[in-house]
Amino acid sequence: MGKSIFQLHKKSFLTVVLVGVFVWSLFAVNWNGDLLHSGGFVTLGQMLGALFTPDLSSEILLLALKSTWITVSYAVAGMMLAIIIAFFLGILASGIFFQNRILKAIFRGILGFLRAIHELVWAWLFVASFGLSPYAAVFALALPFGGILGRIFADMLADVPEEPIQALKSTGASRWQLFFYGYFPNVRTGILSYTMYRFECGIRSSAIMSFVGLGGLGYQIQLSLNDLHYHEVWTFIFFLIAVVVLIDWWSSHLRSKLNHTTKHWFIPFSSLLTLVLLIGAWSYIYVVDKASFLELFSEKNVAYAKKFFSGMFGVGEENPAFFNWESWKTALSLTYDTLRMSVMAIGFATIVMFLTVLPAARNVANGKLTLTSRWYQWISFGIIRLSYIFSRAIPELVWAMAIIFILKPGILPGALALALHNFGILGKLCAEVVEDLDARPIRHLASAGASKAQILLYGVLPSVLPQFLTYILYRWEVIMRTTIIVGFVGAGGLGQQFKLSMSFFHYTDITLLLLCYLILVWISDYISEWARKTARY
Amino acid sequence: MASEKIIEVQNITINFEGKIALSSLSFSVKKGERVALIGPSGAGKTTLLNTIATFIKPSDGQLVIDQVDSSELNDRKKLARKIGMIRQQFDLVHQLPVVHNVLAGKLGQWGFFKSLWSLIFPQEKAIAIRALERVGLKDKLYEKTANLSGGEQQRVALARLLVQSPEIILADEPVASLDPARAEDVLSMLTKLVMEENQTLITSLHSVEYAKKYFTRIIALRDGAVFFDLPVDEIQAEDLASLYQLKEHM
Repeated sequence: MGKSIFQLHKKSFLTVVLVGVFVWSLFAVNWNGDLLHSGGFVTLGQMLGALFTPDLSSEILLLALKSTWITVSYAVAGMMLAIIIAFFLGILASGIFFQNRILKAIFRGILGFLRAIHELVWAWLFVASFGLSPYAAVFALALPFGGILGRIFADMLADVPEEPIQALKSTGASRWQLFFYGYFPNVRTGILSYTMYRFECGIRSSAIMSFVGLGGLGYQIQLSLNDLHYHEVWTFIFFLIAVVVLIDWWSSHLRSKLNHTTKHWFIPFSSLLTLVLLIGAWSYIYVVDKASFLELFSEKNVAYAKKFFSGMFGVGEENPAFFNWESWKTALSLTYDTLRMSVMAIGFATIVMFLTVLPAARNVANGKLTLTSRWYQWISFGIIRLSYIFSRAIPELVWAMAIIFILKPGILPGALALALHNFGILGKLCAEVVEDLDARPIRHLASAGASKAQILLYGVLPSVLPQFLTYILYRWEVIMRTTIIVGFVGAGGLGQQFKLSMSFFHYTDITLLLLCYLILVWISDYISEWARKTARY
Repeated sequence: MASEKIIEVQNITINFEGKIALSSLSFSVKKGERVALIGPSGAGKTTLLNTIATFIKPSDGQLVIDQVDSSELNDRKKLARKIGMIRQQFDLVHQLPVVHNVLAGKLGQWGFFKSLWSLIFPQEKAIAIRALERVGLKDKLYEKTANLSGGEQQRVALARLLVQSPEIILADEPVASLDPARAEDVLSMLTKLVMEENQTLITSLHSVEYAKKYFTRIIALRDGAVFFDLPVDEIQAEDLASLYQLKEHM
């Protein structure tokens, strides 16, 4: 009986623990202190005011169009390489070609390492070693995205049902024949839709590559922000939102057409569009940007890279930071701050998501789920969905750049920037969970005389919470990886120190900070895996 | 008292987008009767049950529940004391433990805070335990509902009906997705409980055999109209044969 009571309350315990951790994270900020810049509110007012009057002069529009193309072509080229990496490493890590567990673990490890380091950190390392070449952006995108895609490919391939494969094997098919006739057709749609989703993320990531000096939309946003030209900032942001929304639409449209039984013109059209984008992107990088691939390995660059990496490993250094206890202490305290920043960020994002998710679900808006409908429900649905699009289309780094104008540097602006980007993603994902809810038990509660609030408590929440938790934890992992990025613009934590060490050429410090960052990412993966398991049973 | 009419259906017609689902249906049910609704797929059995449950408003005709016209039955909480429904086991909230699904039968009487509090400390637990005891699932009180088998889930739904304790029970294909042994188990339990509580039961069924075994009266529907309406012991084999005959042969 005692065990049963524990079973009943296990999830309540988990909830209490999670809420407790969030409250603990809030203590990282001195709330009584001076958090705002003097005039921070005025700046906020100016920024918001400019939202409705973006600069639409032909000069700025042309610049925005050009920057958008740069951002898109880096993303397209980076995604192409990422898919190639993911294809080969994914197959090797899935264990479908050979059953050797050690080899499988090694390839999984490589994929894990690639995706643990954020694309902007890769970009910085590449720029530091071979200069401001478009290839720095392309490779910086390709490695972590290859890692993420590869991991998903591997999981999908490993989940392919055994029976059709066995049947093919009995016909004497070779390994590659097995792959193309058995495994690949099984995972094709899944891989395609996930790759499209990643492409959307790739656009955002490509936009922020500007931060290390590479061109594109983010570069223009940063320049305009520094010049306090908020009207221009919004123009560029609107272009970014438009691209993200277009790709989102392309992806969802393509997925729905792929699920149809009959062929639709949209499918060959999509293939053609992909081809055009690929040719366009690579020829832009190669012809217009005049980025020679071989020049990357010029003597000069090789020497730079050698110096940089030997510096990171502390070659010839008297007292490398990673052997110094004092440096470790500083780094660990920053790690602790960063952890709290990430928890605070996901906490804020979750609160806003909970407040908005129900009116943002289509089946609540049209009254089908709760059996009541009001005229204003569609209006609140529209407003909230629009805010979700805004929130997720703007990268964390851009949110951070703007917030730093209003709040003083520290943990809070970082957490806010991360929360602002993530509540939209979380809200969209969770609203879809509510939309997919089985309506039968809900309607039955209504017929048993339950009120609207009771339906929420007994029908909606228990059904959606486990899925919500999965998404919240998954976003927390992503936030963990991104904390370092918002730090770059002065939003506190490991990232801020990383940038300082970069500027002062303290290479061994960078190694130490990266080490702490990897530990943090690893810990967050572990914790979220544990919480997911606890919630499941 | 035994002859009191608890449900009166008078010339009820239902149109769905121009199609007639029920055409001018009339019958009445006395308190304590156990009525089986049979008929081929698409005959209007589910539509009729949903109409009696007041989920669907009739396009024409009148429905009287316990001397009250259905148009006056707007308070869901009060209605829940009169009419309870059970369907295939898809009505339960799978992620909740069994005890909450059973106590959901009380939601019509509970206020908001009591229902909230009950999710942490189950209220009126004794009632839930007694109900589960009667359906033979006392040991599953804290089990996650999704972990139960189909037959067990349907018994949880029965326990919830016991807690809700309405005067009329409408059952829509309550055993459709169960194997024959489980189906008999659930049906015999349902009819036994209904008799003990002196409730009125209307069940739609696919199996004529079960209808004869567990019910007192059979109403057969075909193409939205009453095909025959007879006490169980007066039904002839020819009636059933023509009921299920395919249309092409007519």
